[in-house]
Amino acid sequence: MSQSDPSSTPSADSKIRGGQFRKKGFTVFGLDLQDFIRFFFSGNASLAIVILVLICVFLAREALLFFPDHHQGLKAYRKSGQEFVDFVGDEVNDFTILYSNANVAYYAELNQTSLEQDNLLAAYRAVQSLVKNETSRVRDRLEDHLDDLEDVVDDLEEAEEDLAKLDPAVDGEKIAELKKEISELNAEKQQLEPVIAELRPELRKASETILNNSLTWKFDDASLKLSEEQREKFREAVLRDEPDAQGDHPYVAELKKISAGKKAAAAEQLVDFKATVTALRDAAKPLKSLHSKLKRVASEAKRESEKFDTAPGRRAALLEGAAKTSDPEEKARKIKMAEAVMIKEPDFATLTQPLYAAIPEHKAIAEKMRTEVAALVKQLPEKASTQGARERLKHARKAERTFDSTVSASLKKMDKWNHDKRYSVIGSVTAFIFGKDWVTNSSWHDFYGLLPLFTGSLMISIIALVVAVPFAVSAAIYVNQLAPVHEQNLVKPAIEFIEAIPSVVLGFFGIFVLGTMLRNVSQVEWLSWVPGFPMSERLTILNAGLLLAFMAVPTIFTLAEDALNNVPGAFSENSLALGASKLQTVLQVVFPTAMSGIIAAALLGFGRIIGETMVVLLVAGNKIKIPDFSEGLGVIAQPAHTMTGIIAQELGEVDNGSLHWRALFMVGMVLFFISLAVNYGAQKILIRFQKV
Amino acid sequence: MKQSIALFAAAALATGSVLAEDKIVIKGSDTLGAKMVPQLAEAYKAAGNEVSFEIAAEGSSTAFTNLLAGTGDIGMSSRNIKDSEVEKFTADGMEIKDWTAAYDMIGVIVNENSGVSTLTLEQVEGIFTGDITDWSEVGGQAGPISVYTRNTSSGTYKSFQELGMNKRDYGSDTQKMAGNEQIAEEVAKNANGIGYVGLAYTDKEGIKPVLVDGVELKPKNAEEYPIARSLHYYTIVGKISPAAEKFLTWATTTKEAGEVVDRVGFIPAN
Repeated sequence: MSQSDPSSTPSADSKIRGGQFRKKGFTVFGLDLQDFIRFFFSGNASLAIVILVLICVFLAREALLFFPDHHQGLKAYRKSGQEFVDFVGDEVNDFTILYSNANVAYYAELNQTSLEQDNLLAAYRAVQSLVKNETSRVRDRLEDHLDDLEDVVDDLEEAEEDLAKLDPAVDGEKIAELKKEISELNAEKQQLEPVIAELRPELRKASETILNNSLTWKFDDASLKLSEEQREKFREAVLRDEPDAQGDHPYVAELKKISAGKKAAAAEQLVDFKATVTALRDAAKPLKSLHSKLKRVASEAKRESEKFDTAPGRRAALLEGAAKTSDPEEKARKIKMAEAVMIKEPDFATLTQPLYAAIPEHKAIAEKMRTEVAALVKQLPEKASTQGARERLKHARKAERTFDSTVSASLKKMDKWNHDKRYSVIGSVTAFIFGKDWVTNSSWHDFYGLLPLFTGSLMISIIALVVAVPFAVSAAIYVNQLAPVHEQNLVKPAIEFIEAIPSVVLGFFGIFVLGTMLRNVSQVEWLSWVPGFPMSERLTILNAGLLLAFMAVPTIFTLAEDALNNVPGAFSENSLALGASKLQTVLQVVFPTAMSGIIAAALLGFGRIIGETMVVLLVAGNKIKIPDFSEGLGVIAQPAHTMTGIIAQELGEVDNGSLHWRALFMVGMVLFFISLAVNYGAQKILIRFQKV
Repeated sequence: MKQSIALFAAAALATGSVLAEDKIVIKGSDTLGAKMVPQLAEAYKAAGNEVSFEIAAEGSSTAFTNLLAGTGDIGMSSRNIKDSEVEKFTADGMEIKDWTAAYDMIGVIVNENSGVSTLTLEQVEGIFTGDITDWSEVGGQAGPISVYTRNTSSGTYKSFQELGMNKRDYGSDTQKMAGNEQIAEEVAKNANGIGYVGLAYTDKEGIKPVLVDGVELKPKNAEEYPIARSLHYYTIVGKISPAAEKFLTWATTTKEAGEVVDRVGFIPAN
């Protein structure tokens, strides 16, 4: 190593290094120009490393400080009794799921009877708004003119009224003025009326054209299976809809009436069902009111705890402020205020006393409610006429079992709960890594759980890989092994060009083009067997995954192509010489040999995808919840949030050094480690297989 | 992240004479900074005041960070200042002044094809907290409700939580959007969508505001409408430049300013 150190080898080495071509030039302290250039480059290289280390240290410090703070926060969560109240909260939440399912089942049954009319009405509203939007130019003009006419008519009436009040003997001048005004207004009215008369048929014609050419309407028309007469009425109702049309078209009014009538009749049939649902809601009332009562107690304790935590800071702030003010009076006031800040720990035992006291009350309420709810759920109808209601009832029964076990668990937890129990440090780490909630800026308690963000990132990446790898690898095989040269020259740069598209542009494309297109396609009836279809959202895991796949293709393609290139030519030559066809050679000799490189390419593509921010922020839908896997593959039609997205979305607004800020850094660290692991893995695979 | 930055560059070097114009730097809320304040600034200049403006709207929180750092004269905020923020000003020996800029009503919007046109405040709370998940529960056609909300940096996020959701937390099924525009856009495209936007955004195509507790979203109903809030300007006592003070006094008291505020869809404070 000492040879490469220029300072310790002034002259002896330089002769060798410079060789015989070296000119004797100027030297400073025995160092010549080449040495300086060398210093310059090595200096730059080491500076880069130093900066990298500094960044890592800064990131790691901010991120690791998260855990003590998080621990502190969780301790406060326990001390203030919020943890205790959330035991009750869990029961309430589980009950809400049960109730909601029962309630929706009831409405599904109720609405079933008037489904035909309701569908017609929905189609009417859809077609009507479509026609309205498409004919807005003519419509707006007509509306303006109608408004003007209305104003003129109002003014006219007013003027005539005034005129009637005036006494011809006294107000001769005014009468003349008014008469002039009236004649002017009349002239205006006469000008407006023919224009309106012209615009009305124009609007109708425009609306008719839209209606005749509307695909939406054609789809609806086909699925509604209207009779000729009905269709005529429906069209008439849409076309009649001018800006000054009053009330509903008789056809629409009739539909509404029939729908309401059928619903009323069905409600009579379902009166027992409704009574059960109402009884369910009432059964939960005592628990809910207990919950909100306890919530107030814990909130109060939490406020006290926060006050205590921030007291030293507040005091220091006031003193610091006092030191900075020059006005003695102001100074004295601030010092006095600082001294008034309480720095005594609140007595949590007293503050949480009402919670302990509520344990027997809760037990009585919960036990009673659980038997009532169990009985009521049994009363829910066994059979339902609609698929939707049947499913909801099934969910409600399942939710009842969950609720029951939650109650048992909560009762046990509450008995054992102690506000003073230690919160383990490991607990704060697991609460972050396995936490199922990411709730920030909450008025109750902020939760920092990584799981929803991690699963979101992972799901999107997996979809992207599943789509990108086959495309990229087959393209690489084709371009490298099978394509003629002129095709190679076209395809390769074209794929590599994808990388040049800014990700924000792709994001916009995802929102406005891909998202809308995916949803429209998903609503086609004969595609409804595809999992997740029909999709109601535009911004989904699938949408983001497809865009990221597009972005990952160049990375995987280039690396896979390199891997294929690295296969020694002798392999394929031998294979061909032994009589194998080109395709056999490619698939059975070249491809398996390049496998390690291709796996590494896929891994690096994964690294590229999981770190991508802009596209997922814009397109993934930003729903902070672990996707609901009970839908099977349909899960891809749900929105999700990602680790990169949450940093971009929330970092801008948090206070420097706050718990939230550090939590975001911690998420960044997790991302960093994932990337590191993926890259390391890719390198390992490459090296391992190269040795073979 | 949508950052609508409106820059009004000064034509300071007019006719060769170096005439330094007063410059007012305003930073903070997207709700105020997107339309209202830029238009007020224009109207103020049109009224013959020789000032230039620099307006940046990146969320209410940035109002206070900029005031604190001395990089802004006026902070705009769609929420009240937090205690923790007041503390930082106290630490620097500064006192903050609150000017009421206008009143805003937060409209609950649904797709224009939705059969639902009226909700009670309790139903709104249920929908945004995730207790109510299906349209049939609130009188619409069956279908899962898609809830769109602002993200956590927005003052509207917090205001709506306090006014419309009984201070409860948002349900985990809600989707966080970057701004009013995105919410309106998604609700307009999703027949099962619901969201909230400021009064000024409720006349977008494809959406309609619902009646809350039977009250229509109209400026004249500001008193009865349950989800209404005040918007604020914040300045630092003693540090405000005379130009900025004059502008704020004009913007919060005069009739002309009131007309501008009204035109962009807010309710004037005076």
